[in-house]
Amino acid sequence: MLRLILGRLGAAWITLLVIAVVVFVGVEVMPGDACTAHLGRDAVREDVLANCRKRMGLNQPPVQRFVSWAGGVVQGDLGVSMKRERPIVDIVLPRLRNTLILAGAAALAGVPLAILLGFLCGLARERAFDVGASTIALVAMTMPEFVVASLLILIFSIWLGWSTGVVTAAYDAPALTLLFATPLPAITLALVYVAHILRMVRSSVIETMGAEFVLMARMKGVPERRIVLRHLLPNAILPSISLIGLTLAWLLSGVVIVESVFNYPGIGRLAVNAVADRDLPLVQAIALLFGLFYVLTTLSSDLVAMALNPRLRTQRG
Amino acid sequence: MTFAQQLLAATALALSATPALAEKVFLRANDLSMGGAESLDPLSPNRFYEVNDLNYSRLVRQDAAGQPSPELATSWTPNADATEWVLTLQSGVTFHDGSAFDAADVAYSLGRIEDPALESPVAAVLGFIDRVEVVDPLTVKVILEAPHAGLPLLLLDYRVRMIPEGAGPTIEDAPIGTGPFKVERFDAEGSTRLVANEAYWEGRPKLDAIQFTAIPDSEARSQAMLSGQLDASSLTRDQVALYEGNPGFTVQSYPSGGWFGIVFRTDTPPFDNAKVRKALRIAVNREEMMTLMVGGDGGVVGCDTPVRFDDPFRANLDCPQDIDGAKALLAEAGYPDGIDIVLSTSDLEPGMVRFAEVYQAQVAPAGIRVTLKLEPADGYWDDVWMQAPASVTSWGERPADQILNEAWRTGSSWNESYYANAVYDQTLDEARSTLDLTAAKTLYVKAQEILFQEGGTFIPYQENGLQVLSARVRGIDAVGEDYIRWHLVDLAE
Repeated sequence: MLRLILGRLGAAWITLLVIAVVVFVGVEVMPGDACTAHLGRDAVREDVLANCRKRMGLNQPPVQRFVSWAGGVVQGDLGVSMKRERPIVDIVLPRLRNTLILAGAAALAGVPLAILLGFLCGLARERAFDVGASTIALVAMTMPEFVVASLLILIFSIWLGWSTGVVTAAYDAPALTLLFATPLPAITLALVYVAHILRMVRSSVIETMGAEFVLMARMKGVPERRIVLRHLLPNAILPSISLIGLTLAWLLSGVVIVESVFNYPGIGRLAVNAVADRDLPLVQAIALLFGLFYVLTTLSSDLVAMALNPRLRTQRG
Repeated sequence: MTFAQQLLAATALALSATPALAEKVFLRANDLSMGGAESLDPLSPNRFYEVNDLNYSRLVRQDAAGQPSPELATSWTPNADATEWVLTLQSGVTFHDGSAFDAADVAYSLGRIEDPALESPVAAVLGFIDRVEVVDPLTVKVILEAPHAGLPLLLLDYRVRMIPEGAGPTIEDAPIGTGPFKVERFDAEGSTRLVANEAYWEGRPKLDAIQFTAIPDSEARSQAMLSGQLDASSLTRDQVALYEGNPGFTVQSYPSGGWFGIVFRTDTPPFDNAKVRKALRIAVNREEMMTLMVGGDGGVVGCDTPVRFDDPFRANLDCPQDIDGAKALLAEAGYPDGIDIVLSTSDLEPGMVRFAEVYQAQVAPAGIRVTLKLEPADGYWDDVWMQAPASVTSWGERPADQILNEAWRTGSSWNESYYANAVYDQTLDEARSTLDLTAAKTLYVKAQEILFQEGGTFIPYQENGLQVLSARVRGIDAVGEDYIRWHLVDLAE
């Protein structure tokens, strides 16, 4: 068990290194750099452009910049944002907190709901409830987040006036202010992955219902309620756990879009701005954080699945 | 007291502490165009323009016709050859910290413009100021390196704002100005709040506060405006339909001097031939082009002049579409069978690609075959503009003298068409030293006529600006940001 965790963590380091290299190369090959993005038309003034590149350290060769940056990261120093001229940690941490608040709210409300709905759909297979809920889930899954977001704003804040449209709270606002600023971003995020988890749990319930041990329990005369709660539920949810982990990690890509549309002051909106500003150290720091989050979520969901299912513990790869 | 009684008492106390009238807070958005590096130093290349406009004052400001009218300077008088200007200052003006505004502050604020450490873009506009002398507490003498009759016009620049003497090094952290509002909280990436300056010399503002929220995404700004979280926002032409016919909003179109153009590099074949350049410009139906781009009332047509339509120095020429004339000019220049050109453009700003497409279609009958080259928006100003032989350009409003010098004077750093004409330069020099307005106008018009005859820049029209206001806003006419008198702006109850 311990060896497995350590092995996975080692692989995580390699994943993060690959992410860093890919992001660095990606930003390097794009036309323009932080200085031309920042100066715009002033970039034709050679002296101003040269001063800017010197100030931001862009006059050094790319490999040297990458090595000195990576060296800092290993020692826990994410560097200084080129554009904002402040330590990246100070910029990223408050926004990371905000994103965790948003994603956390969406997950806390959404995951139990998704499991419950999926379970009910599976039990009520092909009856009105299942057909209705599954159809809505399919629609929610296929609609891109920005469409869902715009629709929610149109209906709930412009037509009905029940909720504010976009978040105007600052990134350093108290957690509760952000949480209650508007429910719409959390709902948008939740809708998509609730749909995914619901589908997964539903099919898993249907599959388990046909399993031999369920048949056996029925033949033994075990009461139906006991079959559902003791036999069906744990076995149907197990395969969904790693999917839930993946879905949560996948939430991050949704966060980038949802935060931009709702002006939510989190790490996703920061990522978009950092790319637009060509703020390479900041882009890399955010990409690393996303990577780290991804690795940690999948790892912990695998561990939870292992803890719940003794059979997985013996399968060592 | 029981718990319920305590609760009641506490509620009553809280209620009595609430002011009888709600605060009037005007809500705006800032687009984070400086990416979080927004500076409260008005001269900084990263100037936080919307906030600086409220917090600091200029010496002069635009009247309704765009001409200088008194702000902190009450009068401006040149000597006979326009090499020295005497400015008289408004008395009784105080800074936000209570100190008096006087001539030393003006001398300091103007003197900073050329500070090399600031790298201020204003140095390119007002770098010809040699020094500023304090005559008495309410009089300064501005001494120029060369004659300039248009100094007051250039002092209209939105970045030339007065700060206390010696405050330069601290101005970003302690933004002390004389404006109608003063910065209370500043965070370009979060929210910025300015409160009314009770001691504002033109009277206390009607608003209590103006609050900015950072909303970098233009769609999100639009959503915020639609759901009533903003009182004002700029608009793109495509967004107008969202607000039209909705009683909750007022859409305003106001004249502005901004324009798109096509630059043909006059130092690169085939555009080094003035006949080719003229053919490329007169083959266009400008009215139709403007109607297609921004609608018939979306701007004002002009003949390759960068000067705003109501500017007294504007040349009003006539330039109808002339297909035969263009063909004849091309034949004379050695292209009897028409000409092939490559035009670079990019979706850097909305409409820039469409602009090139409309041009392409319009000049085709004259035998001008345009191939469009779509360039990435990133790095456009660095890699394409002033590099490609022909490219689409975009400029904001500038006073006549400034734009005519900035974009066409030989050797100017933004001379995008690499235009070099001694007669043109000399005409501008003469105009600068001519104090008589009528005589100066003749010279500026002559300069614009030169550009129309042989320049390398095609400028079909100047586009109007667009903004939307919430229905509770009072006191903002259909004018650009520079013209709004913020201390008179109000919100209906």
